[in-house]
Amino acid sequence: MTSRSTIAIRLPTTRPPATEGAPAFTVDAPIAGKVVGLRTDLAWRSWKLIAREWAESIHLAGATTLEIETVAQVGKEGHDDRAAVNAWSEKVDFGIVGLGTCGSCTSFSVYDAVALEDHEKPSLVVVCSEFETHARNMARFIGHPNLKVLVLPYPLEARPAGELLEIAEEYYPQALELLGVQA
Amino acid sequence: MTHALTSERVEVAADGEALYELSLEGGWGDGVPILAATDERILAMLAATPLATDHVIGALPPQYGVATVELVAVNAVMAGCQPAAFPHVLASLEAILTPEWNAFGLTTTTSSVFPMLIVNGPSRDDLQIDYRAGCMGGAGGRGSMTIGRALALCLRNIGGQRAGETSRCVFGQPARFGMCFGEWEERSPWPSLARRRGFRPEQDVVTAHGGKGTFPLADINNDDPHDLLHLIAKSLAFPLSNLYLGGTGENGEVVLAINPIWSDRFAAVFPAVESLQEYLWDHAWQPIDLWPAGNQEILRSNGRVDDDGRVSLVRRPDQIVPIVCGGLGSLHAIALPSFGESQMQSAATVTAAPS
Repeated sequence: MTSRSTIAIRLPTTRPPATEGAPAFTVDAPIAGKVVGLRTDLAWRSWKLIAREWAESIHLAGATTLEIETVAQVGKEGHDDRAAVNAWSEKVDFGIVGLGTCGSCTSFSVYDAVALEDHEKPSLVVVCSEFETHARNMARFIGHPNLKVLVLPYPLEARPAGELLEIAEEYYPQALELLGVQA
Repeated sequence: MTHALTSERVEVAADGEALYELSLEGGWGDGVPILAATDERILAMLAATPLATDHVIGALPPQYGVATVELVAVNAVMAGCQPAAFPHVLASLEAILTPEWNAFGLTTTTSSVFPMLIVNGPSRDDLQIDYRAGCMGGAGGRGSMTIGRALALCLRNIGGQRAGETSRCVFGQPARFGMCFGEWEERSPWPSLARRRGFRPEQDVVTAHGGKGTFPLADINNDDPHDLLHLIAKSLAFPLSNLYLGGTGENGEVVLAINPIWSDRFAAVFPAVESLQEYLWDHAWQPIDLWPAGNQEILRSNGRVDDDGRVSLVRRPDQIVPIVCGGLGSLHAIALPSFGESQMQSAATVTAAPS
């Protein structure tokens, strides 16, 4: 019988820094009279259509919208986009940011939604179901675990416009509810 | 310098198979056997850098784990790095942590993109970084195989990048095990990539490119360098490139690895690399009617179509990046297509003074 000797090794992993988590904010008021931010990005046509539909509903409810479309993640365009999102965050009362329907676009949707929370504004990130866990993970990783997430069906791309409009109508009340908009 | 190690210590049976099994169970291996990260090996690694053990290189996405020099050394030991290659691992991390490289986006994307490391400088041969036959896979140089692997392990174990979990990659690619190769500077008719990016010839430099894969190009039927470059440029501008997806073409580079035989042919007509880039850029476009109507509408609304109906792959000639490497069998080039939303970054190594 032989004895099994052992060696000591160091593990290569680390835990992410623990954070309490930044606060999330709610509207706690009716929508009328508010300035609602809507952030789309160049890539996702489905989300642009849904956001356009929601903008009409917001206007009908007596609020105004301030819309912004992002183009890039890096470079001059990326810098300009992040600066514009910051300026936009200051001007709106609350905001809706989308769309998370790929990996990096979900990450950047979360990032831009967090810009609103950094301005102490209620914020909602909109993602498709395939990317829900990713969105919640990314929000946690960047210190905003309480970021509100609205989950739309997946995939949205390649659906006919009529279906997208039905989805827009179905999920609009949920978006307002998550944001704490009062009837 | 003395080093007090603080990373978590565990006992494991002293045979390679037990360590391998433990790495698989713990999820901190990459599926291939690793070396034991013993204190002795870690300390040898740390002796190769002047940086303190607890020096923070940065917080690595997606989980933003803090990459201390010690933790990077643990991963480098596991990957099989020689201590002399450790400064290259640290430089590769410095490069991908530059914000314009966009580690935040690239570690989480659905794309297969991963840092592809291109090495220039005097240590290339000593470290066995492949730059001749089989340099992008198969040559098996220790530096090539372990520097890239060490970076990949850091992303996994410190950054928390895991396929299907924190990384949304649909397919991944072989380079996600680690990809590192050198430029054959002696055979290049043009200044090296590092020189073009502002570094001195005596510096060891690692350039990180967010590459989606290796895209092979081949020709045996063309003797005219202009015509061959025209075909290469058209091949770079393939219609489903990321660079045609949603963006404006302003970001990202396509690396074009040219074999030394072809580079001599091209240099005869383009002695300056800038003129070569200009020529490639001038031909790296497709006619708008190549795409179906739906794509055409988007490319037009994104401002990608010029007055002559051309859709250029990228906005500027410097976004096509020729380098020289590979074997002398000629016939082939390799493109490393871009993710798009990433800008190539370089960092010079910093080494410990000889004791």
